[in-house]
Amino acid sequence: MGKAKTRKVGYTMIHTENLSKTYRMGDVEVQALRDVNLEIKDGEFIAIKGPSGSGKSTLLNLIGCLDTPTNGAVFIDGIDTGKLSENGLAEIRREKIGFIFQQFNLIHTLNALENVALPMFFAGVGREARLKKAEELLVKVGLGDRIYHKPSELSGGQQQRVAIARSLSNDPAIIIGDEPTGNVDTDTGNAIMSILEGLNREGRTIIVVTHDAEIAAHAGRTKRMRDGMVLD
Amino acid sequence: MRDKFLLAFRSIRERKARSILTVLGIAVGIAAIVSLMSVGYGMEHAITGELTGMADMISVMPGKITGGHTYVEMGGFTDRDVKDLQRISGIKDISAMTYDSVEVEYRNERKPTFVLGGDTKDLESFYVEPVGLKEGRWLRENDYKGCVIGDRVATDFFDDVIHVNDKLVLNGDKFVVVGVFEKGGMLYSTDVDRNIFLTLRAAKNVLQTDAIKYIIVRVYEIDEAEEIAEEIEEVINDNHGLDDFATAMAMDSMLEQIGVIFNIIRGVLAGIAAIALVVASIGIMNTMLMSVMERTHEIGVMKAIGAKSSDVLALFLLESSIVSLVGGVTGCVVGVIVAKVLSFLGSAASGLEIAAIVKPEVLLGGIAVAVIVGVLSGFYPARKASRMSPVEAVRYG
Repeated sequence: MGKAKTRKVGYTMIHTENLSKTYRMGDVEVQALRDVNLEIKDGEFIAIKGPSGSGKSTLLNLIGCLDTPTNGAVFIDGIDTGKLSENGLAEIRREKIGFIFQQFNLIHTLNALENVALPMFFAGVGREARLKKAEELLVKVGLGDRIYHKPSELSGGQQQRVAIARSLSNDPAIIIGDEPTGNVDTDTGNAIMSILEGLNREGRTIIVVTHDAEIAAHAGRTKRMRDGMVLD
Repeated sequence: MRDKFLLAFRSIRERKARSILTVLGIAVGIAAIVSLMSVGYGMEHAITGELTGMADMISVMPGKITGGHTYVEMGGFTDRDVKDLQRISGIKDISAMTYDSVEVEYRNERKPTFVLGGDTKDLESFYVEPVGLKEGRWLRENDYKGCVIGDRVATDFFDDVIHVNDKLVLNGDKFVVVGVFEKGGMLYSTDVDRNIFLTLRAAKNVLQTDAIKYIIVRVYEIDEAEEIAEEIEEVINDNHGLDDFATAMAMDSMLEQIGVIFNIIRGVLAGIAAIALVVASIGIMNTMLMSVMERTHEIGVMKAIGAKSSDVLALFLLESSIVSLVGGVTGCVVGVIVAKVLSFLGSAASGLEIAAIVKPEVLLGGIAVAVIVGVLSGFYPARKASRMSPVEAVRYG
């Protein structure tokens, strides 16, 4: 798990420049994000708080290279993502970022082990190495006894832990969570946040979006958003 | 690659109902095409197959066909007719036969039937070779007291089935059955099934006539058959001083007429197969489209965790080609079974012996169509889905 540790202290892992996103809904233009300038250091654990519709998911999707901005730029590990081809973006998502969704988004036809191994499959890792690593990761998130279970046979908290294991499979420097505790009860939510804290201690940069103050309290730094702008 | 196969296979297996329906949709279309074409080829072969062996033959009968339907018998040919025919150039072989109805008696039961007598060598090449014997042997030149009987004479005429070595009485003379014909195909059925075959001498004796009722002529060149047939009619008509004493039919020209009919039938079959193909293709496209669409979310997730568009496309194309291949092969198997059943039912209903002919190129073509249509119709939605932005795709469903 060394990737994240090779950089200098205080290195800027992510920064955005005047980042804006406008959606068209029929004739109406909705400005989801307005000139966001954000800097996140390597090894930081940052929570972004805000009511729904404040643009926090949009910001996360842009940082996670799942979407492209209308204006402005996102730099990840020094790379201007706006200059990358579609395959280049896929590579960033695969190698540098691990994504955790509110809805878990596991592939329901695959079991836990295969779900975790899937990003490594796209990275071209051999089958045996892939499955071995996937099993290690599932043990790490406390699901060593559930590796052959399908998502439908797992509880919400268990599914989210599989998703966390999956986000780690290509050993990314950045973990992004979009309301990762939004679909689980408080205790499970705290357990998931503890896992994320552990990952942060390993040196990974963690960005979590939430509207829950208790969850945000796990983070080292908190930003609030409203109406597409970062307030403080 | 093996991994991709496993993943694609996995996803097919996990969506059993959807996959089975897709496979079925493809299979039905392909089965329709394969069975139609196989039955079509079978029908064609049933008719032309027997005929092509007879293409060099001209059959000459005393009488005329009036209005194209009824046949009026005019008496018999004479030895002089046969001799005169030998002078026509282009004729390879002439076989004169005598033929008439007679009553056959077996274990004190009597039934009307026909006796056909001729040169045993000629009869052998005309009837025994194409039809075959199911029991015993063919007549020898000196088998004056032997007979070979048709299938219906043996099995249908009397309470007991007649076998080799049973004795029949024809006009007071006893004959020993030395052989029994197989059931004749559609073309031979009337000539063989209800007949009793004798040597020419025995037949003349039984029928108490020297008249020749049937002449079969073989020609060297099939192209000349039509011309020679006209010449034969002329020569015999001259001998008897009548315009229409004899009717000579070249099998080859009959074949041509049947060929025309067959082109029509083939056209109709091809049309039906084409419709089946279009319907099958639309079905394949529909199921592929639906199965990719309903997985847009999954595609989005795959892209979010780092899959390239080409990875997603490759996976889905692999899946659709596996499904189409299985569908195509299933369709071929079902198509062959349906073709066999159809031809069996058709044979039973019509009395024609139709055996479905399964051509390998039809099977390969069916599988190729399934895979090509399947992959193409999987390609469009898969490409569309793989190009969606991951956010958009993930939001789906």
